Amino acid sequence: MRTILTIIFLIPLPVFSQSLAFDFHSPENIKKFADYLFCEGDYLRAIEQYDFLNQNLDNDTTEFKVMLGYSELGLFQKSNEIFKGVNHKSIFYPDAYLLSLKNKLLIEPQMIKDTSISSLDSFQLKSFCRLTTISMLYDDEFNIPEEKFISPFDEDERNSVLAFYDYKVEPKYKSPALAGVLSAIIPGSGKMYVSEWGDGITALVVTSLFAFLAYDNFNADHNTRAWIFTGLGAFFYAGNIYGSVASAQIFNARIDFEFNDGLKFFLKQRNYFLPEYDFCK
Amino acid sequence: MTSVSKILYIVLMVLIATANLSAQDVFAEQFNYAKRLYEEEKYFDAVTEFKRLLFFYEGDNYSFESNLLIGLSYKEAAKFSEAIQHFTLAELNSSTEYEVFESRIEIIKVNILRRTTQRAFALLDSLENDVRFRKNSEEINYWRGWAYIFSDDWKKAASYFSKLENCHQLSQICDSLDNDLYNPQLVKFLSIVPGAGQFYTGEYVSGLISIGWNVLWGYLTINAFMEDRVFDGLMVGTLLWWRFYSGNIQNAEKFAIEKNLKMTNLALRYLQNDYSGKKP
Repeated sequence: MRTILTIIFLIPLPVFSQSLAFDFHSPENIKKFADYLFCEGDYLRAIEQYDFLNQNLDNDTTEFKVMLGYSELGLFQKSNEIFKGVNHKSIFYPDAYLLSLKNKLLIEPQMIKDTSISSLDSFQLKSFCRLTTISMLYDDEFNIPEEKFISPFDEDERNSVLAFYDYKVEPKYKSPALAGVLSAIIPGSGKMYVSEWGDGITALVVTSLFAFLAYDNFNADHNTRAWIFTGLGAFFYAGNIYGSVASAQIFNARIDFEFNDGLKFFLKQRNYFLPEYDFCK
Repeated sequence: MTSVSKILYIVLMVLIATANLSAQDVFAEQFNYAKRLYEEEKYFDAVTEFKRLLFFYEGDNYSFESNLLIGLSYKEAAKFSEAIQHFTLAELNSSTEYEVFESRIEIIKVNILRRTTQRAFALLDSLENDVRFRKNSEEINYWRGWAYIFSDDWKKAASYFSKLENCHQLSQICDSLDNDLYNPQLVKFLSIVPGAGQFYTGEYVSGLISIGWNVLWGYLTINAFMEDRVFDGLMVGTLLWWRFYSGNIQNAEKFAIEKNLKMTNLALRYLQNDYSGKKP
């Protein structure tokens, strides 16, 4: 009888304990859920869950994942604020350091002046060198020999890096002043100078035509028409000079845009020379 | 002794059953909590809690409704791709025809909202051709009408709403707007007479300016020809008169398009804020 009663009391207990003890918000379950959200790419919610967790558990993996999550969300400043709290002895500190450099570049493209840290392994050190070297391209006073500049990069990267280097050393700018002067001398030539051949030829033909019509009408004593053609010719002439200067400025802005955009695309393609962290295996 | 064993056996069974029910309650509670967040319009938190439930619960009991509500929450936050993803998951976890229909209609509504109306039409066609949903043809026509509204085809929209009811409110709105809209082709045709297109669209000042320019350059062109200055006439005619004449047509068409856009935007704003029926 006693045995039976014991069994009666004991059997349901584990079942009860399993069901009643299931706590969605236990640290273990929050972590599981946060990891799941992180792997799903739902970084905002994952970070929220990791934040709950950090109050109960000091874990450098979750700290790094929060930093990574903010960076993925484009909140680079926030990501770097997390970096400030990362312990120097943490296994993730070198990775977090490199990530903070990437964030810095994304917050404001500028030369990275930070120095290397001793805890970087050889692979991380290479990433650091490549990242800091490529960031020099954002410096206004760029002055580094070609050999030295391309040395940290792999063979397959060197052609692209070299193209950026050439772009930076000898930007193919056009002079707005020269474009204006050329158009003042020969209408349309300033446009041709900035490779806008169609506009240049049109400007030349139209301005010449109006000039001829004005001259011819003055000669024939058709003063009204002559003044209309003079006015139109002058308008086209002045407009063409202004347009040539503006075209040269636009040309230069496009050169800068293509350089910056190309560099950004190149870095993004290579994840800023950082390894791809996979916490979802 | 036999009767005591029986009693004990019954007690044991009751306890086990209670335990299972209790386990169920935890998930039911979580579901209700998430649903309450959704009802309180705390969509971010609602999505989190539904996802938490779906992650920990191994059964399928909550899959349909949770995914549907996640989709609706994302929709409220204008995260349309995520919404469609979860409506699709809801459809995959649906157990009745009604649930399949509901999920698909939600997908259609999101496609209408984000103006991928071609996709909405394709989905509506598939629903219409599905024998299971023959009884839902009215609702299908209703959403087809909305898809035409967002495709800027108010006439067709009106025709689909009138299929539901002769004087359906939406049908009247669409009809009235369609009558008010300017026909850009007609405007271009009227502009053969400089300024007429602008007058038709109510842009009188612009119409008068257009007439002025065309009269001036027309006069100078004809005058040049009359004075046997053929080259002058050709130049003024092509470089000035023709430029201003074609500009007058383009200008009138632009006015018609702009005014139509203003009217359709007003109508859409009215539907969004003041129409009380079902909306995407």
